[in-house]
Amino acid sequence: MIVPPRVRALLIAGAAALFLVVFSGDRFWLQFLGKTMITCIFAMSLDLLVGFAGLVSLAHAAFFGLAAYLLAGLSNHYGLVSPLATLPLCLAGVGLAALLIGWLSLRASGVYFIMVTLAFTQMLYYFFNDAPGFGGSDGLYVNDRPRLGPIDFGERTVAYLAIWIALVATYLLLLRVVRGPFGRVLIGIRGNEQRMRSLGYPTGRYKLAAFVLAGGLAGLAGYLDATLYGFVNPAHFGWRVSGLLLMTVLLGGKGTLHGPVLGALLLGFLEHYGEQVTTHWNAIVGAFVIAVVLFLPRGLAGLLRGARG
Amino acid sequence: MAETLLETSLLSRRFGALAAVDSVSLAFQRGEVHAVIGPNGAGKSTFLSLISGELRASSGRVRFKSEDVTRLTPDRISRLGIGRSYQSANVFPELTCAECLWLAAQSRARPSMLFFRPAETYAGIGARAERALQECRLTARRATPAGELSYGEQRQLELGMILATEPELLLLDEPLAGLGHDEAISVIALLREVARSSTLLLVEHDMDAVFSIADRITVLVGGRVLETGSPAQIRQSRAVREAYLGDEQP
Repeated sequence: MIVPPRVRALLIAGAAALFLVVFSGDRFWLQFLGKTMITCIFAMSLDLLVGFAGLVSLAHAAFFGLAAYLLAGLSNHYGLVSPLATLPLCLAGVGLAALLIGWLSLRASGVYFIMVTLAFTQMLYYFFNDAPGFGGSDGLYVNDRPRLGPIDFGERTVAYLAIWIALVATYLLLLRVVRGPFGRVLIGIRGNEQRMRSLGYPTGRYKLAAFVLAGGLAGLAGYLDATLYGFVNPAHFGWRVSGLLLMTVLLGGKGTLHGPVLGALLLGFLEHYGEQVTTHWNAIVGAFVIAVVLFLPRGLAGLLRGARG
Repeated sequence: MAETLLETSLLSRRFGALAAVDSVSLAFQRGEVHAVIGPNGAGKSTFLSLISGELRASSGRVRFKSEDVTRLTPDRISRLGIGRSYQSANVFPELTCAECLWLAAQSRARPSMLFFRPAETYAGIGARAERALQECRLTARRATPAGELSYGEQRQLELGMILATEPELLLLDEPLAGLGHDEAISVIALLREVARSSTLLLVEHDMDAVFSIADRITVLVGGRVLETGSPAQIRQSRAVREAYLGDEQP
């Protein structure tokens, strides 16, 4: 996969602009853009599955929510505040969950795979909503947010910076993965799985590896979200979250990595300004999504493509 | 003395009451072009799928280089050295010729090595893909997406993808189906070339092609072996003529 020069320039400029926002110290923008960048990470991780491996998963909210709840649990019950401990633990926990859920759901394919992933997410939603000790539908506070020596990630500026670093790192990591041989195998599976198998690829294992990697990065997004807000709730597991995320990926342009970033930024702003104009801002978003799907089949990223196709 | 590369013994596959492949026992010698012919519904493609692992045998055995491969999955069988093509061209339409071949060649690399480094930097894989590109005579179409190739070229590419996996045995399911006259000639030439260094199991309807390139022919009718022999023997066989070849003189 080649990133066209103009896209690269746009991404670098965008990253620089987002970085400069740190110095504004403005409460609203740090929170709003921090949240939006988290969605960017979340959407890129789903793009690995949807856009590259051709796997439409609705389990992504599960990994986001699990990481957030894990952070709350580690902090509230075990007093772990260092991200050096909590981040690896949360990611490992989410990775394990992704391994299990992926191993089971990938036995199905097509629409059945979608349904199984949705079922797992709903199971977790009701579990965290109803089981005692998880705060019910109100959710939980993260009593002590991640802290490393003098660096307190509960501070908005610090959290924002951490999210910015995570976003850039996630993009570069995923770019490397999809450009490498592993990414090519995923693209092959998306195109023609039977052919891949008869060429000698154990396609199930590759799909599971992609599912775990994508789940882990969704977990990173959930971890950052709990860090930024200091609050987790069962709505994280809602099917709406998975659905909106899928929409973000398609709106931005699947199979591009930068597309979902554009989608997340655009939807973020659309929601923010739409809310100020009308209470029915969802209708605006809906109309916009329909227009993009109809007229820009490659999503927003399609607008940025060069001459080649 | 010829060496038996692949052997099926009493291989059967039933779909409900229908025995698509019925107790087929055949031996395929290394270096030979062995064609399997028969009327539509004779079980030829099913037979190939049983060998390639895409269908499970109801009973019987498949041995490749004396190893029992009956229950192995398609990817394992491919890695053991059996490549297969399909009745209609089966390529990756979105990828260019070079990328398709690259993907085929990469299948022989160890999976643990497959993260992170940009794909282009794996020289061994690139060299193998390049060789396959020349073998299937598509160097001029290197950067063309497979979906934009002519049907004949797609069949060439498919053959190239199999060659890039460096198989010892090629299972080819009607490589000439759907080709125009000129395209068929170029694919036949390609098959002859491949046959010089590999073993071929060929399922094909084009009788002229079969009788001109096969060393040995098996006639399958109703899932059963009617006759196996050299092209001359098959041509003279009365049973074959009655059951299958009809009036058409090959």
